[in-house]
Amino acid sequence: MGMIDPALAARFRALVLPHLDAAYNHARRLTRDPTEAQDLVQESYLRAWRYFASFHGEAAKPWLFRIVRNTFVSMRDKRGEATAPLELADVDMDVGLAELHGMSQAAPSPERVLMEADTRRLLEESLDALALPLREILLLREVEELSYKEIATILDIAIGTVMSRLARAREALAAELRRRMKES
Amino acid sequence: MTTTEMDCATAESLVDAYLDGELPVAEALAFERALESCPPVRRRLADARALRAGFQALAYHRAPAALAASVENLLPQPARRPAMRLDAGWMRMAATILIALGIGWLGGRYLPLPTGGDETAEIVAGYLRATMAERPVEVASSDRHTVKPWFSGKIDYAPLVYDLTTEGFPLLGGRIDLIDGRKVAVLVYRRNRHTLALFTWPDAARSAPTMDHRDGFAIEGWAQNGFAFRAVSDLAPDELKQFAAALGARLEADR
Repeated sequence: MGMIDPALAARFRALVLPHLDAAYNHARRLTRDPTEAQDLVQESYLRAWRYFASFHGEAAKPWLFRIVRNTFVSMRDKRGEATAPLELADVDMDVGLAELHGMSQAAPSPERVLMEADTRRLLEESLDALALPLREILLLREVEELSYKEIATILDIAIGTVMSRLARAREALAAELRRRMKES
Repeated sequence: MTTTEMDCATAESLVDAYLDGELPVAEALAFERALESCPPVRRRLADARALRAGFQALAYHRAPAALAASVENLLPQPARRPAMRLDAGWMRMAATILIALGIGWLGGRYLPLPTGGDETAEIVAGYLRATMAERPVEVASSDRHTVKPWFSGKIDYAPLVYDLTTEGFPLLGGRIDLIDGRKVAVLVYRRNRHTLALFTWPDAARSAPTMDHRDGFAIEGWAQNGFAFRAVSDLAPDELKQFAAALGARLEADR
């Protein structure tokens, strides 16, 4: 590339470092463990810096998040922990969808109850209870506010799959909220 | 685009895409019109909005300081060259004296780039902003007659615009940046895979090109034809000099 090292580092500082908080927050919610989240982000940045010469000025955040995700999968693999849920086939999630649709007509809207006090914890718990791919896509969209196209890049799936998985994730979250509200 | 009515079932299926900002404008407008006659869609939209508000209220975990430090340690540390700092007032006076002595343009060789504050750092930051943006230019054209008028009304002067394609530096277009709190015209050029940004603003003094370096970027600064120029790039210094010489020749021809 002909770019000298300090220039590369300055570019990395300007483009990739500003997303450190976002990467960490995402890692926290993905791993649900502060220590694992720190390791994940540290390793991801190491890889990002190593691959940075091949970064060609596309949006930096999706680029970094894709590395975070791949690092997450490989770290869990190394620890012998199945990441199968992350690769969960989307057809698997169709089961129970019809049932969810039926339910959503009945109970009072759980989403709107969220507006009330003390329901933040309820959302946190419901989110944590979701299967990893559903939690992941909700975080990318609702917390990181990434576009469908950017999410497709990060997860390496088609935009159509982003839309259907996101719809399933929202339904599953609403169902989880409803279930917990009934319990409390 | 179609202006036909959207039925409630269609609208209901588009609630998420609408709220996610993923609908094309015409469809979003049709969706909004459909809302008036589709109460169930309005309810679903309210639900989706409430859920979004819930997410926005979630705690955001900031990276711990130790993590930020260890990530910073992965990178080579920038070499901080001790630079002689002169205050702007003194520099203006010195420039006046030099011009009075009749060695006006030679002064540029020995003086830091004029204006107060760390101009070089601001130029480099402006360059990075141009290269990090999704589109490095706000007006994309290699035609100077398109780029030049674009600046009118956006800044308080008309920059000199040249396309240097024949010299190996095609003009990509223009953008606006802030240097020293002032809106400044930036012309963006390409050289092979590298981007070159040219910052330019009115400056009556004439000064010969001087080169500065910061964090691996080269900055060539000079003043000519009533304008100051700062060319910045990650190109090799020789190529940047080549650019400055090519532009200088064009300016000289138009003087």
